[in-house]
Amino acid sequence: MSVVPQLIANSLIAAATYALVALGFNLIYATTKFFNLAHGAMAVVGGYVVFFFLGAFTGINVILAVVIGAFFAGFLGWALDRVVYRELRKRKASNMVLLVASLGAFTVIQAVIAMIFTSQFQTLSNSASEQVYQIGGAAVTETQVVIMASAVLIFILLSLFLKKTMFGKQVRAVSDDEEVARIAGIHTEKIIGWIFFIGSAIAGLGGILIGIDTGIQPTMGLNLLLKGVIAAIVGGVGSIPGAILGALLLGFAENFGIWKISGEWKDAIAFALLILFLIFRPKGIIQK
Amino acid sequence: MTKAQKTIWWVVGIVVVVGLIAWGVSRNSGSSNVIKIGFIGPLTGDGAVYGQPEQNTIEIAVANLNAAGGINGKQVQMIYEDGKCDGQDGTNAAQKLVNVDGVQAIIGGFCSGETIPAVPVAAAGKVVILSPGASSPKLTGISPYFFRDYPSDAAQGDVLANVAYNTEHYKSVAFIQEETDYAQGIHDSFVPTFEGYGGKTMLEAFPSDTTDFRSFLTALRSQNPDALFIDTQTPASTARILQQLTQLNWKPKLLVDDATSGDPQTLSNYASQLEGAITAEFLPNASDTAYQAFIQAYHSKYGQVPPYQNYMACVYDAVNLLAAGIKQVGYDGTALAQWSRTISNWPGASGNITIGPDGDRVGGHIPLVIHNGQIVPMAQ
Repeated sequence: MSVVPQLIANSLIAAATYALVALGFNLIYATTKFFNLAHGAMAVVGGYVVFFFLGAFTGINVILAVVIGAFFAGFLGWALDRVVYRELRKRKASNMVLLVASLGAFTVIQAVIAMIFTSQFQTLSNSASEQVYQIGGAAVTETQVVIMASAVLIFILLSLFLKKTMFGKQVRAVSDDEEVARIAGIHTEKIIGWIFFIGSAIAGLGGILIGIDTGIQPTMGLNLLLKGVIAAIVGGVGSIPGAILGALLLGFAENFGIWKISGEWKDAIAFALLILFLIFRPKGIIQK
Repeated sequence: MTKAQKTIWWVVGIVVVVGLIAWGVSRNSGSSNVIKIGFIGPLTGDGAVYGQPEQNTIEIAVANLNAAGGINGKQVQMIYEDGKCDGQDGTNAAQKLVNVDGVQAIIGGFCSGETIPAVPVAAAGKVVILSPGASSPKLTGISPYFFRDYPSDAAQGDVLANVAYNTEHYKSVAFIQEETDYAQGIHDSFVPTFEGYGGKTMLEAFPSDTTDFRSFLTALRSQNPDALFIDTQTPASTARILQQLTQLNWKPKLLVDDATSGDPQTLSNYASQLEGAITAEFLPNASDTAYQAFIQAYHSKYGQVPPYQNYMACVYDAVNLLAAGIKQVGYDGTALAQWSRTISNWPGASGNITIGPDGDRVGGHIPLVIHNGQIVPMAQ
């Protein structure tokens, strides 16, 4: 049995999960210019909201639960911006201060989730009953197909949204120069709030889908965040297509890297890739 | 304060100090017909779920001993210290027992974490220390003063290697192993035994926070092993691996460690995937009369059967084993330490106990198979 088709499938699945985190991260970075570490917690929140709804209301429509989960994650991202980041921006806080604040928010959210739901590993689905497709010698589940389709769909929608709509133009104006955008009459704080909502909701969706695929745990956010950030930096920080390219490169490098060498090297490969890019191409594949 | 008052205070102080010393001395000399044995265990905190039944079990064993006339006519008295499953508390407890109470033997700790740092303290005071619950392979051969009647986790790997090669006739076993001391201990004991028989092993080790196992499993699968050993620290990793095995449509023969097989939740949730999986646990023989007598004694005193029966049987045995040693060589830490290495086939509630030269209980783990979400003894 050749392992190549399965490794390609594994790479694509991993890339899709990284992309779902990296897309929102890059969107938020592009407009606010700071590393929002709390982004990882949004994925966890999304996953746990769905876990709560599936447990509390048996027979609830899964899609409805997913929508609620993503919406809640988006709302939390918006609220975090409103309550914490906007206040800090008003005081002309540096990006370093915002980064530390976001790390604090990340830790608090993770701790609260652990208190409410315990630190135990939980599953969102019983994958034993899940449909497994055989595609060209690789096994892929229904959830994994949905993850990959979601990543592609969100990428396309987000690109169109930013290019074609009035709102998208305002977002780009803010990310080009917030000061000038404000002088031109754009309500920049409102735009940033929306960006936090959209970016966090995408992360929430990512967390939910990953939860259905591999289960949830309060501490899963950090790992997701790290991989998402590596994908974002490698692809081009702040760039939407960059997030997708970075995620693909990372997914393939990790999964094909351990084909011939021991799997212990998987994380080392990811970070070696990051360091190589930081040294030789610090702005990533797509340079903004 | 006048001079007179000062004098009075001095006199009162001296009287109190001298009185306390005299009382202490008289208490020590007056209790020469009592054998004081130290205890370290998690009496409070999260580990109290082990420590409380442990104390209950010891109370039963000591009461029985004393009712039967004690050891060589002397009554046994336990001194309980709380180790809290914690290294610092375990050290403090050992220091108090060795230096203040002057015991010659300690039963404890229960957790490996409180036991490992307590051993050097006991050894420095020439006090023998017998653990009925600490299973870390790090304790193997740690000191001539240490022994345990609960087997090392490393014994698991050994037993499983034997069953895998000789009973199941697996020629190659692939390990997916969590990078922790416990899981590595099992791998490291499995491999030499299995390869000694002529088998072949492969290894993919993963850090504890791993969630995506697909490529580890794909890599192992491509080598066509006869069986997959899920060697994890917690049931959470096992659950993920089992899920992803299904996702990859791979249904290998399975071996699992007792972190998985000891968790009833995982066994019932993944009953279909784990059907036929082989594991090894330390289990007392439920039909053994000594074991049944212990369970009944516990039930009649506390109104319920003891939890963690495999551990509690070892706790019960620890008291009686130590009593047998004291009868034989006297209440002296060094003599007891030397005697501990001669224990061979001593019949206890947890089965026959043999202590090896490294202080570990020999054998003990028995092969089991998972059937309908339950562990059952393997048909030989």
